[in-house]
Amino acid sequence: MISLNDFLMVSIALFCIGLYMIITKRNAIQILIGIELMLNAAILNLVAFGKYDKILNGGDVFALFAIVLAAATTAVALAIILNVYKKYRTIDPDKINSLKD
Amino acid sequence: MKTPLPYQELSTIYFALAAVLLPLFACLVNCCLPGKRNKASGAISTLAMLVAAALSVIVFSKTWNAPQVHIQQLWFTIGSTPLYAGILLNNLSAILLLLVCLIALPVHIYSTAYMKHDENYDRYFIYLSLFCFSMLALVVVDSMVLLYGFWELVGFSSYLLIGFWFTREKAAQANKKAFLMNRIGDIGLLTAIMTLFAQYHTFDIVQLFGDGGLISQSTVQNGVWIGPTGSMPAVWQYIAFTGILLGVAAKSAQFPLHTWLPDAMEGPTSVSALIHAATMVAAGVFLLGRVYPMFTTFELDILAIVGCFTAFMAATIALTQNDLKRILAYSTISQLGFMVMAMGIGAYASSLFHLVTHAFFKCALFLVAGVVIHEMQHIKEENKLDIDPQNILYMGGLRKKLPLTFLVAVVAALALIGLPFTSGFLSKDGILVQAVDWSDNKAPLFRLIPIGAILTTWLTGFYVARLIAKVFFGQFRLEQFHPHVQYHISDGGWQYRVPLILLGVASLFPIFSLNPLLYERAWIFSGFGSIHLERVNIYHTIIPVGVNILSLFLIYWAWSVYTGRKILIFKQTGFFFHLSYHEWYIDQFYNRVIVKAVLCISKALSWVDRVVIDGFINSLANTLVGLGKAASWFDYHVIDGISRVLSGIVQITGNFVRHFQSGRVQYYLFSMLAVVLALIIYLSF
Repeated sequence: MISLNDFLMVSIALFCIGLYMIITKRNAIQILIGIELMLNAAILNLVAFGKYDKILNGGDVFALFAIVLAAATTAVALAIILNVYKKYRTIDPDKINSLKD
Repeated sequence: MKTPLPYQELSTIYFALAAVLLPLFACLVNCCLPGKRNKASGAISTLAMLVAAALSVIVFSKTWNAPQVHIQQLWFTIGSTPLYAGILLNNLSAILLLLVCLIALPVHIYSTAYMKHDENYDRYFIYLSLFCFSMLALVVVDSMVLLYGFWELVGFSSYLLIGFWFTREKAAQANKKAFLMNRIGDIGLLTAIMTLFAQYHTFDIVQLFGDGGLISQSTVQNGVWIGPTGSMPAVWQYIAFTGILLGVAAKSAQFPLHTWLPDAMEGPTSVSALIHAATMVAAGVFLLGRVYPMFTTFELDILAIVGCFTAFMAATIALTQNDLKRILAYSTISQLGFMVMAMGIGAYASSLFHLVTHAFFKCALFLVAGVVIHEMQHIKEENKLDIDPQNILYMGGLRKKLPLTFLVAVVAALALIGLPFTSGFLSKDGILVQAVDWSDNKAPLFRLIPIGAILTTWLTGFYVARLIAKVFFGQFRLEQFHPHVQYHISDGGWQYRVPLILLGVASLFPIFSLNPLLYERAWIFSGFGSIHLERVNIYHTIIPVGVNILSLFLIYWAWSVYTGRKILIFKQTGFFFHLSYHEWYIDQFYNRVIVKAVLCISKALSWVDRVVIDGFINSLANTLVGLGKAASWFDYHVIDGISRVLSGIVQITGNFVRHFQSGRVQYYLFSMLAVVLALIIYLSF
């Protein structure tokens, strides 16, 4: 039997890998992947904690909802990345620093 | 004057007033005339003078030996002291009014020709009219304050005229000198007036000096000067006298203030004639005449000594001078000395008589000198010579070229010497006789005064003969120096001839006395109540005869020496020659001692001013600048420093914080993470 702790461990690992990717990667697509990893870590948590709600299955439902939302977000993010690439001819976030004052 | 004056007197006053104001009017009109060389100015001034002369003749005929006419009006009041201004016509002012007009008229006529080619023809007549006005006003006013005002005005207008050619350095120096010397006299007169006012509380001449006036009621007893209105220490009486004496000495060129008069020759010759005859130097003697009652016996003795010394000194100086006008100037000083001395010995009438006769013949002599200098100037300009046109060494033999001038010169010269049949004889011998009379009743030392006077007469005879001989007799010496000199000179037009003839005639006896040999019969004496009208003793015969016989010898001697018939027997070296030639070294003495001392004092004062006063101010200023600098430093480094530090901190903080706004999304995320982590860490402990 896989205990709840194991799920949480995997989830933490996923989250940390995602966070690390977001902060260090030089490619917007990889950052997007990092975001997806963190999102999946959260979804994994939802599913793992869903075993305590067998009646309404609130955790599983919310996980499904989040997956759909993640897909939509990814689509929007990819579109933004595409547009950024069109404008700056790069998708390296270090080089796109026009957010600076 | 509370009682209304009779019509007769009122008209006299108006005539006198008109005579006085006409020259002023001419002066003002001339000021308004357009153009720089407006010939009308001469005509206007001369016409004004002519009318003034006519009026003064009327005034004179009405007031001579008549009761004095005095009119006055309240001028202003200071505190409770009212000041009156008015006109006083008595014998003294009437005769001076007439004299000034009669002298000024020929001088005006003469000037129209003499100044014809001058660039500032109109300015000359403005000054001349102002000069005549101030002198005329001086003689008729009745208040010491007004007298002082016109006294100053006479000095001022003479200053303008002496420096008329002010572009010449010497003329500018001369008029400055005349002005400064006269200022000394003015201070004296002012002191005297103030002292008299302090004693008598009035400026009115009639109240002060009139018959039975305040002065005649006051005495000096036991060192106290007692007057009807109060008493003061006697020293104030002497101060008043000294002030008057200073004023007289400055105006009438008495020793020690005489040195301005020879230098005043820098003015136009016609002005010299006016200054020397009637308008300037007469003022001093006139003042003596006005304030005569105030003098004590002791003070009169001082006057006599000053006058006698001046007369003698000036005569010795005149012996060796070579400048035509300078000789005449010293003869004027000498004759003025006679007048002051006559005042001192109590010969009041003789003094004024001599003033009148001297005015005519001295004016004539100066106009003659003007003609001679004018012609010499012509020769100089025609031949482009480098000579001094006033130097008598270049002249000689002019009697054939200038016959009329020569004739007038001889008449006037004889009058100056005081030979019989001239006016000068009448007045001068009067003075000599009275001087001898006077010294009879005095200590033996006072004998020196008549002796000095008689010596001066002889010296006068000698230097006048020298002058006439050098100018009019012998050879024309300019031809000897410059053999090819071309000249055609003459007496000049009627503007020259008429004044000369008038003045020449006035230098003869008939105008003053029908008897040419007895001065006692002169009509002027009757107007001044002279006590010497009787031929009381032998002096009245001996002195004129003795003096004149020796004078004739001296004249002949001088004439023969200077026309070259005898060789020159005077060595032009030696102490006495230099003493005379350098004018007794008085000018040098003044320059060395007084001028230098004044310069030293002013230099010292200037040093004090520069070093001490300015130094103090500068050190104050430096202190303030230092304080300012300190304040500025404090402001810059402390006040500004604080705000600079504050702004620096803000800037540094801003710059530091700016680094976080790098625009890199990942950095923002990282910082967010860091903050969240920090929060978590903080919350969990």
